[in-house]
Amino acid sequence: MILTPNILARLVAVVLLGVLLQLSFFSQVEVFHTSPDVLPALIVALGLLGGSMTGAVCGFSAGILLDCLLIVPLGGGSLVLMACGYLAGLFRERFVIQSPLVAPLLCMILTLFAELGFGAVELMLGLDDSTVSALVVRDILVKSAFAFVLGWPIYLGLRRLLRPALVEDPAAPRRSRPTVLGA
Amino acid sequence: MYRKQVRRRRAVLALLVVGSFALLTITYGRGSDGFQRSVSAVFSPVQSVADRALKPARDLVNWFDDTFDARGQNEKLHTELETVRAQAVGAQAALAENAQLRELVGLDKSGAIPSGYDPVTARVIARSPIVWFSDVTIDAGSNDGIEVDDPVVNGDGLIGTIAAVTGGSARVTLISDHSSAVSAKVVPPGVQGMIKPSVGDPGDLILDFIDSTKRVGSGQSVVTAGWRTEELASRFPPNLPIGEITEASILEQEAQQQVHVRPFADLRDLDLVQVLTGGSRG
Repeated sequence: MILTPNILARLVAVVLLGVLLQLSFFSQVEVFHTSPDVLPALIVALGLLGGSMTGAVCGFSAGILLDCLLIVPLGGGSLVLMACGYLAGLFRERFVIQSPLVAPLLCMILTLFAELGFGAVELMLGLDDSTVSALVVRDILVKSAFAFVLGWPIYLGLRRLLRPALVEDPAAPRRSRPTVLGA
Repeated sequence: MYRKQVRRRRAVLALLVVGSFALLTITYGRGSDGFQRSVSAVFSPVQSVADRALKPARDLVNWFDDTFDARGQNEKLHTELETVRAQAVGAQAALAENAQLRELVGLDKSGAIPSGYDPVTARVIARSPIVWFSDVTIDAGSNDGIEVDDPVVNGDGLIGTIAAVTGGSARVTLISDHSSAVSAKVVPPGVQGMIKPSVGDPGDLILDFIDSTKRVGSGQSVVTAGWRTEELASRFPPNLPIGEITEASILEQEAQQQVHVRPFADLRDLDLVQVLTGGSRG
């Protein structure tokens, strides 16, 4: 990704808007008794478009902002989301993305990873003596399914927004060969 | 050139990982630090505006979810659904808010809130998206007299306590959060125990450490115990409604000294809450 001040401002706006929308909208709506978590999907899309460094830094920033606004110990959210962004970016750097299903599938898998990661961080901070309901598994799976559904529009939207900065954009329209009259 | 890039990438990644762990180590166990307070002060008004602006959209999505749920239930609900469909989403939101405020005033007047406490009404502006946490952020903070450990209620009963405060916002740890523990008693028998969550299921709480020689049964109410000794006192005032016992098998009572409780408050759908400020604590 070619980072110009304009693109940097867009990335900051995307992260800010993503976190605010997550807290004010997605976390407070319920579909199938679970609220969608779009932040991992957003960070995965940024990682897929910008590479591992962009993904990691955006994930770290989104996590810090999330922790600040939820007034919880800093670092947990940033660690998990940074890992999501980095892994998505690494995937993009190692493999050629050809199928349109890659982005949503990766969003789903890394959302699952993020939810388990949040659980691991929580375990580290003292979840040990609590009873964990089996409904947690359902919640995590439904959140991952939401990420699959929302992953594609998020990826497409971000690709459109960040198109000037993308090094290679397979979606860029090919110039058609001019018609030569009388040939 | 490529190696240099890889080295730089690894260095940044290591820096971010170390930074995250350092932040966790420094900030864990502290309510809120200066950095969080500053960020929260900047974003609280934005969150508040976003929360109000997105409320109709949220209500619309939740309405679809409720409608979907109701379809799977019995015929009796169909008539109610027809009525609900006829109402505009905006009007529905206003009605719900009005009802919540009435319930809060009702709780206040019914004597459930003990004297000496000054209720501060606040709106939930954010909710943690992570399944392992049960936290919400409200739009009132230390500027409104809110302090850490203040109990938080809504029209149905106890919902949690204040875990961290900034000037204009506060984090409420719900009673369904893994870190929550509330000393409670069953009425009428007066059996005391500790209300603990079943992480991930906000509709199921566990009343633990109860006296196995005394029997409690389904349908009995659970309220805060609000104990007090010479030096210490519970952070909760006595007799705040918490929930009702749903499962109380003799086997579970004898073997594990616990019963299951369904909270009165719908912890998944919180909008307006009251923080009980100013109470005396040990």
